[in-house]
Amino acid sequence: MTAEYDVEFVETGDRKARFLVRGVTPAFANGLRRAMVADVPTMAIDEVRFIENSSVMFDEQLALRLGLVPLSTPPEGEFVDDDTVTLSIDVEGPGTAYSGDLVSSDGLVQPADENVPIIDLKDDQRLEAEADAVIERGKNHAKHQGGVAVGYRHLQRVTVDGDLPEFEDEQSRIVRGVIEDDGELIPTSEFDDDLSNRYPGKEVHVEDVPNAFVFHVETDGSFTVAELVTRAVDTLEARATELEEAVQL
Amino acid sequence: MMVPVRCFTCGNVVAEHWEEFDERANEGDEDPEAVLDELGVERYCCRRMLVSHRDLVDVVSPYQ
Ligand SMILES: [Zn+2]
Repeated sequence: MTAEYDVEFVETGDRKARFLVRGVTPAFANGLRRAMVADVPTMAIDEVRFIENSSVMFDEQLALRLGLVPLSTPPEGEFVDDDTVTLSIDVEGPGTAYSGDLVSSDGLVQPADENVPIIDLKDDQRLEAEADAVIERGKNHAKHQGGVAVGYRHLQRVTVDGDLPEFEDEQSRIVRGVIEDDGELIPTSEFDDDLSNRYPGKEVHVEDVPNAFVFHVETDGSFTVAELVTRAVDTLEARATELEEAVQL
Repeated sequence: MMVPVRCFTCGNVVAEHWEEFDERANEGDEDPEAVLDELGVERYCCRRMLVSHRDLVDVVSPYQ
């Protein structure tokens, strides 16, 4: 590889971030993206035992809704594949049962969003249920997918070739993502995604920077972006080690 | 019936914003576009989940 490996953050947040990775091949960048989507285990409700459900929705429908609620996922190694955590919910109408009404038996596993309406209960309706959360991977069910809208683009380099001819009309030039200008990283949203705003009257050309990728990562709240990326890298490493051991004589 | 918990397309949790969106844009007279921007529902796949939703619990509950 030509460029040296390097990571630089463009935007940082708990649930949403953008960062630049240099010195990786397109294959590795895509491997990382796929690991974030399908290979990082998260907790989600998988089985529900209904004690009472007199609401307007069927047990199965409510079980699906409960399953889709993101749960905070404990640190790596705390839980293994077959461990379960029990959560219970008991809400009586009139009122709405929210994800925040789920009571967990384990402090590490809590609903990440408390405001998700599960079911609207009318007078005399009641929802009482017990649910088992399991740790699984996104490739088995979308509810275990910790990374949401994970993607990447090439970093783009903009170079000024000179001035536009004197009588030529300025045309808009739309670029999305992050551009590099003299080593400085600028998200295109800063100039309304239009290069003619940033370089008025100039002739510019745009090229992809080889082996430099700008990742956009969001999580469903199970963990932070930093946590998701490191766990994704760990799964890649674990698989590489497994392969290495398997092909040894 | 109830608002879907997640966006069908990208998997983002949208249901947590439903009640505020309903109150401000459907019941109230705020501009849905501005409300969605403020709630941080960015992508149009997630936006359509809230914009096109209709709560039906009140409609079916008399027949329970
Ligand atoms: Zn979406």
